[in-house]
Amino acid sequence: MADVSLHGVAKSFGATEILRDINLSVEDGEFVVFVGPSGCGKSTLLRIIAGLETVSGGEIRIGSRRVNELPPADRKIAMVFQSYALYPHMNVYKNMAFGLKFAKTNKAEVDRRVRQAAEILKLTPLLDRKPRELSGGQRQRVAIGRAIVRNPSVFLFDEPLSNLDAALRVNTRLEIAKLHRDLGATMIYVTHDQVEAMTLASKIVVMNHGRIEQVGAPLELYRHPRNLFVAGFIGSPRMNFIKGQVLRLEGSNATIGFAGTEAIVNVRSGSLAAGDPVTVGIRPEHMEEGGAEATSLRGTIDAVEQLGESSYVYMRLASGDDVIVRAPGETDATPGGSYTAHVPPRALHVFDAAGVSVLAGRGEESDG
Amino acid sequence: MTDLTASQIHSADAVPARSRFPVHIAVFLAPALAIYTLFSIYPLIDTIRLSLYTGDETGARSFVGLQNFQTLLSDSNWSGQFWNAFRNNLIFFLIHMVVQNGIGLGLAMLLSLPRLTGGSVYRTLIFLPTMLSVVIIGFIWQLILNPLWGIAPSLLKAVGLGSLFGPWLGQESTALLTVSLISVWQFVGIPMMLIYAALLNIPDDLLDAATVDGAGPFSVFWFVRLPLILPTLGVVSILTFVANFNAFDLIYAIKGALAGPNFSTDILGTFFYRTFFGFQLQVGSPTMGAAVATAMLIIILLGVLIYLFGVQRRLQRHTF
Amino acid sequence: MGTTVRPGRIAVHIALVLYTILALGPILLILINAFKTRRAIFADPLGLPNGQTWTTIGFDRVFANSDFGLYFFNSLTVTVVSLVLIVLIGAMAAWALTEYKFPGNTLIGLYLAIGIMVPIRLGSVSILRMMVELNLVNTLTALILVYVAQGLPLAILILGEFIQQIPKDLRDAARCDGVSEYRIFASIILPLISPAIATVAVFTMVPVWNDLWFPLILAPGDGKQTITLGVQQFIGQYVTDWNAVLASLTLAIAPVLVLYLLFSRYLVRGLTAGAVK
Repeated sequence: MADVSLHGVAKSFGATEILRDINLSVEDGEFVVFVGPSGCGKSTLLRIIAGLETVSGGEIRIGSRRVNELPPADRKIAMVFQSYALYPHMNVYKNMAFGLKFAKTNKAEVDRRVRQAAEILKLTPLLDRKPRELSGGQRQRVAIGRAIVRNPSVFLFDEPLSNLDAALRVNTRLEIAKLHRDLGATMIYVTHDQVEAMTLASKIVVMNHGRIEQVGAPLELYRHPRNLFVAGFIGSPRMNFIKGQVLRLEGSNATIGFAGTEAIVNVRSGSLAAGDPVTVGIRPEHMEEGGAEATSLRGTIDAVEQLGESSYVYMRLASGDDVIVRAPGETDATPGGSYTAHVPPRALHVFDAAGVSVLAGRGEESDG
Repeated sequence: MTDLTASQIHSADAVPARSRFPVHIAVFLAPALAIYTLFSIYPLIDTIRLSLYTGDETGARSFVGLQNFQTLLSDSNWSGQFWNAFRNNLIFFLIHMVVQNGIGLGLAMLLSLPRLTGGSVYRTLIFLPTMLSVVIIGFIWQLILNPLWGIAPSLLKAVGLGSLFGPWLGQESTALLTVSLISVWQFVGIPMMLIYAALLNIPDDLLDAATVDGAGPFSVFWFVRLPLILPTLGVVSILTFVANFNAFDLIYAIKGALAGPNFSTDILGTFFYRTFFGFQLQVGSPTMGAAVATAMLIIILLGVLIYLFGVQRRLQRHTF
Repeated sequence: MGTTVRPGRIAVHIALVLYTILALGPILLILINAFKTRRAIFADPLGLPNGQTWTTIGFDRVFANSDFGLYFFNSLTVTVVSLVLIVLIGAMAAWALTEYKFPGNTLIGLYLAIGIMVPIRLGSVSILRMMVELNLVNTLTALILVYVAQGLPLAILILGEFIQQIPKDLRDAARCDGVSEYRIFASIILPLISPAIATVAVFTMVPVWNDLWFPLILAPGDGKQTITLGVQQFIGQYVTDWNAVLASLTLAIAPVLVLYLLFSRYLVRGLTAGAVK
């Protein structure tokens, strides 16, 4: 069993609070990704789990054991660093074997494990090389190999792909996903790249300002962001936000007016009152060109980007809001012209003045 | 016809461009090369040349080949002094290597601890003696160790070591060690700074990785930090070597040109000075002085060459 | 790991404080005793001067019996003029060696490197002969020439590495505007290397100010003594006058101490930055 759980974890450096009241449980074998903007505390949280930072409060448990007082080496974890942190004076073999030296593993076993990991990662021909003789991708694999040989219960990754070029990043991403399937170990992965988070995670933890904003499966976060921050962070291009107001309220059906149009949405009872200001969110890919009849947005085109498989139309509404529409395929729209986008009411997100989603049947479920 | 003119123009244009003398480069280089050659390289070469001559009272010089060196190494009037100075210089150097560079390494390790409060204050203050003149430092310690003043014995008594005190600078058995330790005390700041900078250069991730790998503080030092600062330790060693085999001021300030008692603190620098300028009854000899200087030059060059070809090549510099 | 070892931290600070006391104690001892009466110097060497023991008699004697102001002025002249020449001439050469590719470039670099490793002192016999012939014995000029020759190689190395970091676009932009090479050096490179001067200063000024060897050989008299030599000669004469000896040491230490504490941040930074290379 190698589940990880955090209870009320807090961290401050002097007067600066880096993390406050973090509660999270990671099941055995899960792939959990911490994602958030830089400075949100995600790397600190990972280092706390590793034992490289102490906590100012709260408890960390790995596999039902309290590990607050344990040094990193005794936590059955292995870590892959952003800079790879390979020992420059040791060859690949020694880099991978270094940790086993302190675990008092016998020579034959060390050799077996290093060669096995090298085989998995296609590093066998490189075992005698020094890190400086390796390419970025190869170094990355050595860093992962160094983690594998320790046979840890939990793998910790700190932005491991950020030093690779775009093509290699996609490859390595796939390799890490495959590694997770093959080893079945618990993995915790930190990144600021939401694409990595969406593609790798079985569970995403969105963090901001030292707090967890939302925890959930990738698509759950995409479909039901609990607040403005998560809504804006997950998805690319970013969700459009338009200021609006509650026009009428009949039971749980609220009529929201925004940008000269209106729509009826089903909201949690008691969450809104008539006249309340709200923020309406619509993902660019959920709008379609045309459809003047129902809820639609009309504006002047600022710019058009044709990507072939889709097109982005940047328009400015009469209300002054800027909106991006992602239209499939090519478009005839040209800058300066006018553009109308149909907004399906089911694709609308509505947030109250505090930025919390008010849609019925959403938001509560992910509180676990 | 047109082709011909075109190529003529081309070549006519190219030739002067290639052969034009780059005056500005010469202008930029000339002052430095002139002063450096005239007052540094020429005197060194001229000293080597002089070491092959001998002079009489009238000032006339005659070529004698390697005879001065033969005198230096085998004549009973000279060789005893030369080898004594050499041996003392070697001890002087070894004490610096062990004590000065050892303490420097230790201080650098402490100062490079993560999030150490007051680190820059310690660094600044510990480095301070290095900035003062060796002569001043020599006099300061001479006063402190002076039994007349009694500071050193009373301080030692306060920590229960009163019986250890003796006129350390005056005894043949302890004078060299004492002088060496005074020099160590003054210059500890240099290895400390150089090693400190090298330690800072090691990325934190690497130390974290070693910690995750299960290495304790001692193992992190022995297996990760020490191998990575070896090139710097090499630089520190050669700097110590050159400085020590060229030392003079401290001994001259504390013990005078005679480097007493009974030449027990005599090193090559003071020996050179005495040979050149003379002392007591012996008359100074520029040519023998040049021979001593040449011998020192050879010793230093040997040290530098051993370092460059024997040590430095094996120490891989690491880029992180 | 940092914060997990609190008790260890206290031991670290104790060790560092003890060493700092060892490093500063002797110097402070001289400074406080310089202002005490002879009786107090011996009766209570560790005590601070107070109303009863305070005296400046040592300083009075130093100023009465020696030319301290002159020595100080000599040292200042030699050091400042040497530093200015080293920086200016050194920067010119460093610029030529890093900016232009020409035959002999590497060779000149190696030629200069000799001066970093081989102490110029070993050429003293010939230097003295030469200065006698040039009629420069007992002049500050002799000292300046030697110190400039001594300081140039390292200065060129340090300045060269610094010039290399100045973006090449800056010079090329100027060349496109038709600015001459001399103007590029004077109005673009020189102003930009000022941060490197601190580093050059540590490596050249301090040894020059503190040197005993060359003043002793080249300018030992005629009121051309530097402060280091002046103190050495003065103490040799007044060994038994403790007040005067302590006062003269204090006078030699004080200016360096003040300058160091004012500029230590730059000096220490220069030293560690130079060391990284």
